[in-house]
Amino acid sequence: MDKVVTLSEAVASIPSGSHVALSGFAITRATMAFAAEVLRQGIRNLTVSQCVGAMDADLLVSGGAVSRILYGGGSLDRFGRLACVNRAIEEGSIVAEEYSSLSMVFRYVAGALGLPFITIRSLRGSDVLKQLEEKAPSAVAYVDDPFTGEKWLALRPLNPDVAVVQVQVADPEGNAWIYGPRWDNEEQVKASKRAIVITEQLVPTEVIRRDPERTVIHGFRVSHVVHLPFSAHPTAVYRAYDYDADHIRMYAEAAKTPEGMRAYLDKYVYGVKDHWEYLELVGGVRHLTKLAADPILGY
Amino acid sequence: MGTEVEYTPFELMAVAGARELKNGEIVAVGLGLPVVATFLAKRTHAPDITIMFELGVIDPEPIHTGVGLADPRVWYRAKVLSTFVDMLGGVLHGGRVDVGFLGGLETDAYGNLNTTLLGDPKGKFRHFVGSGGANDIASSSKRTIIIIRHEERKLKEAVSFITSPGYIRGGQERAQAGLPGGPSRVITDKAIFGFDPESKRMTLLSIHPGCTLEDVLGTMGFKPIVPEHVPFTEPPTAEQVRIIREEIDPEGIYSG
Repeated sequence: MDKVVTLSEAVASIPSGSHVALSGFAITRATMAFAAEVLRQGIRNLTVSQCVGAMDADLLVSGGAVSRILYGGGSLDRFGRLACVNRAIEEGSIVAEEYSSLSMVFRYVAGALGLPFITIRSLRGSDVLKQLEEKAPSAVAYVDDPFTGEKWLALRPLNPDVAVVQVQVADPEGNAWIYGPRWDNEEQVKASKRAIVITEQLVPTEVIRRDPERTVIHGFRVSHVVHLPFSAHPTAVYRAYDYDADHIRMYAEAAKTPEGMRAYLDKYVYGVKDHWEYLELVGGVRHLTKLAADPILGY
Repeated sequence: MGTEVEYTPFELMAVAGARELKNGEIVAVGLGLPVVATFLAKRTHAPDITIMFELGVIDPEPIHTGVGLADPRVWYRAKVLSTFVDMLGGVLHGGRVDVGFLGGLETDAYGNLNTTLLGDPKGKFRHFVGSGGANDIASSSKRTIIIIRHEERKLKEAVSFITSPGYIRGGQERAQAGLPGGPSRVITDKAIFGFDPESKRMTLLSIHPGCTLEDVLGTMGFKPIVPEHVPFTEPPTAEQVRIIREEIDPEGIYSG
């Protein structure tokens, strides 16, 4: 079944108020073109989740699309913090449920496997747990191990409405390969009611069938496939292109103040019609070619 | 060895960290000095160390310095590229990690780490990075080593937010919370600390060459246990400094 649509069509399938799991990790495989299109379409009141907060969540928060974030903390690595997420948390304009990377992924795992809850050693004795007990009392509880009687922390499963995942290779049905570490992406997709796959390369299903061991996203879970090159720019996609250090530095500087971020949004999100115009604005083919990954290094 | 070797405080910290690692151990590392220390150990006395990054990377051999764990530069020539469930789940939560290597905004007298916020969590505060895998690593490793700059605002009696628990408020509190292990060492640019076996309070173990006891105690926010005799930290060897500068961090990003 061919599920290939435009980015605009895929984004339009997400109603305001949805819970969206995002595939980014700091400055890599972040759903940047997706986030920009969400802002252009004016979708609001989203819950976003990811194990480590990335630039995609920061952009969505900066444009006011997010009312709640579930994440394990995050940054732009050495380029800076998630300034827009941090500011929104400090001002109280979004609700933040903060976890650790593993406790977030365990919630997806429980959601993926259809378990009623999952137990974990992490979080105990920490203020991360104390804060969750106050802000998200329905997400954490204690249970007794039925075999030993030992007390364990239990987490409630998480089932997002849609997972949005940047991949290197997919077929028209949504069967997809992710090169490099995959962090929480497989569990996000399996826990979610459906997935949108955004791929750098679209291949015939015959290519997938010749190397099925590589398939980490099952086509039947996918509702839309978007074929869009450089759709994670300015973040990196392993074996496809490097992060755009100058652009991320410029973003991090802009994000330090609401005014700076407003100017960034006006130019790079609202000032363009779509992702193609964005790619022209940031330098077009001449610039993007410089970011192409070396086939041996992968960056 | 023996002759005067010039080194920076960060190089000394990396060398002190490397010395804490034993051959054959499985080490969970965050980026920065812990990576330099672990690669140094692997290239010197502990070639069979297994290095693990939380997002799904085992034993990379980077040739360029990365900006963070998400940078493909730090995955280069890895033996495994997989997932959180594989690393933080199957390796760490499964009880296989010997050493967790962590840094932070601030630590305290009981080795608790804060990477989340400064200020009043219920009032005015500044939000920083949060946990990432740090809480998981601090909770499930057999022991943890903390590397942090020696400043009054970074070494406090009690951190303003426990992101990653050490011994919590001391004594048996960590064990009562159901957590194994705990911090074994805190390495700063002035000294190395351990923890008292009973009270679990931070205890001065050695002072780096060139520093004095007054300097060490005067630049921290609490009073650690100070034994009667405190030796100087063994300085780096010429070979260790060479490996850091020429092979591990030639751009001087972490140890310059």
